[in-house]
Amino acid sequence: MTTPDPIHTSGTGTTLPLVGANRSSIGSEPTGSAFTPLQARPDHHPSIFTEAFLLTQRRAKELLREPQWIASGLATPILYLVLFAPLLTNIPTALFGGLSVVQMFVPGMLVLFAFGSGQGIGWTVIHELDTGVIERFRVTPVRRVSLLLGSVIRDGLFFIVCALVVCLVALPFGFVIHPGGLALTLLLLAVLTGTVSATSAAIGLALKNIGALAASIMGMQLPLTLLAGALLPISMGPTWLQVLAHFNPFYYAVEAARDLASGHILTVSVGLGFLVVFAVFAITLTWASRVFQKAVA
Amino acid sequence: MLDSAPAPAPLAIEVRGLKKTFPVRTRGAVPKPGPSDSQAGANPASPPERSPSIPAQQSRRSATVEAVSGIDLDVPHGQVFAFLGPNGAGKTTTLRILTTLLPATSGTAKVAGYDVSTQQDQVRRHIGYVGQLGGTDLDHATGRENLVLAARLYGLRKPEALSRAAELLEGFDLTALADQETSTYSGGQRRRLDVALGMVGQPSVLFLDEPSTGLDPQNRMNLWDQVRRLRAQGTTVFLTTHYLDEADALADDVAIMDHGQIIARGTPAQLKARTGSATLDDVFLTLTGRALRDTDVQEVRS
Repeated sequence: MTTPDPIHTSGTGTTLPLVGANRSSIGSEPTGSAFTPLQARPDHHPSIFTEAFLLTQRRAKELLREPQWIASGLATPILYLVLFAPLLTNIPTALFGGLSVVQMFVPGMLVLFAFGSGQGIGWTVIHELDTGVIERFRVTPVRRVSLLLGSVIRDGLFFIVCALVVCLVALPFGFVIHPGGLALTLLLLAVLTGTVSATSAAIGLALKNIGALAASIMGMQLPLTLLAGALLPISMGPTWLQVLAHFNPFYYAVEAARDLASGHILTVSVGLGFLVVFAVFAITLTWASRVFQKAVA
Repeated sequence: MLDSAPAPAPLAIEVRGLKKTFPVRTRGAVPKPGPSDSQAGANPASPPERSPSIPAQQSRRSATVEAVSGIDLDVPHGQVFAFLGPNGAGKTTTLRILTTLLPATSGTAKVAGYDVSTQQDQVRRHIGYVGQLGGTDLDHATGRENLVLAARLYGLRKPEALSRAAELLEGFDLTALADQETSTYSGGQRRRLDVALGMVGQPSVLFLDEPSTGLDPQNRMNLWDQVRRLRAQGTTVFLTTHYLDEADALADDVAIMDHGQIIARGTPAQLKARTGSATLDDVFLTLTGRALRDTDVQEVRS
């Protein structure tokens, strides 16, 4: 404990440079009329890009200093690749539209991974509500949407880096990388990650309760990913399932990712995938910003 | 009123008729306000109480509670103002309205010359706030990182932000811990960082919500010194406290709040003289009585 003796502290405590240079009256009693509001306060207001950059950086540091989360995040797709994909080897590839098992499986798994990469932020948000961090940001002029963007961008970037690792791990299993297609896949799914991230953050902020958040996220995860055909193509299923899947945005992401990862860029599925994923992202971000604006107003 | 650049405001805080009601969700039987259950709320049979904070309106499913019942308050620039009151009196609610964290139900409040409901951004540029929860980022961030990020979000460039952080670390005796993760800080160290974070933006009005709760005497003295120094530099400090010796030692002016209303206002000496009490503790108990208060009012966090 470095706290000085209180008696000495009272008399000669450390000098506190609390205020800017133009407060020359340090130490003297202010007279009411002589006091002028500070002009030393920076009049330069950060742009939304600066704010988003700073808050993304903060979130990135948070993640990098907790590498066990990165490891456990990466473990899921790799375990699926190693322990689940081999179960599919005896299924006729005609059912996968002529794709090899791995080529069919990896894009779908990346969609699962996109959900996993975005879902966690709600827990952090609730923790930050409890420790007063969010309240502290709320009384500063920082834009509310920047608080949201920091997490959304961090999660999207995190997804891209980890997804690249997963693709490299998939190479010995026969995964073929088509650079252009893969780049677009990662872009598309990073936006999907951002959608999940914004949703999780907004739900966390709105519900303020870890149990309720978990129930909401888990309640969404299975139907959205199963009904997307992430593990096996929906086209293998009965008609009612195929019809139902068309109401699930994740379905379009999976279909587009499968085309892209095989190097087929100019297809209807890809066009629809980008359209749906970007539209849902825009809607979600608007909604989540409103939740932040309201709850964090 | 001009909105862009008001003349130096005559008052740091100006509150008129501020009122805040919260909806309260009740389960099971809703307690009736009195023997006659015909009309909700108003009950002429009950004795006149200075208690507007009991449920004002009730239905089967919801009721409202009035946490702040139309208060007026003026705090001149450069004062240390202490806001006292029992738990649940409405102090924190008032403070949260003044810091733009909660919208008022009715009434107006100006802080540093700006309206808290229509000029939130301006208010936020001029205030600092240290809440009861703290606000230090405890997730793998160091003290310095906390301060630098806060400074940069106020618009300081990196070198300025670094030197601002260094100044504050030095001022709060945290230099030695600056690059340690804040999760390793003691309660007192963390509180000092909380307060430092509230001052990053060079606020002209600083709000401290029970700043010394849980601090050891050394850290409390240190905090008092910081507050005195801020005052000497012209900063208005608005603090809530349960420690009446703290108000006595620090405050130019004191207001005592109970049941959502300000029931006394003056310098510590005036209040003692008026009630014939030796200490502010006695003033407090004379004015607010000994019954527990937070049985009927609940301050609600948003």
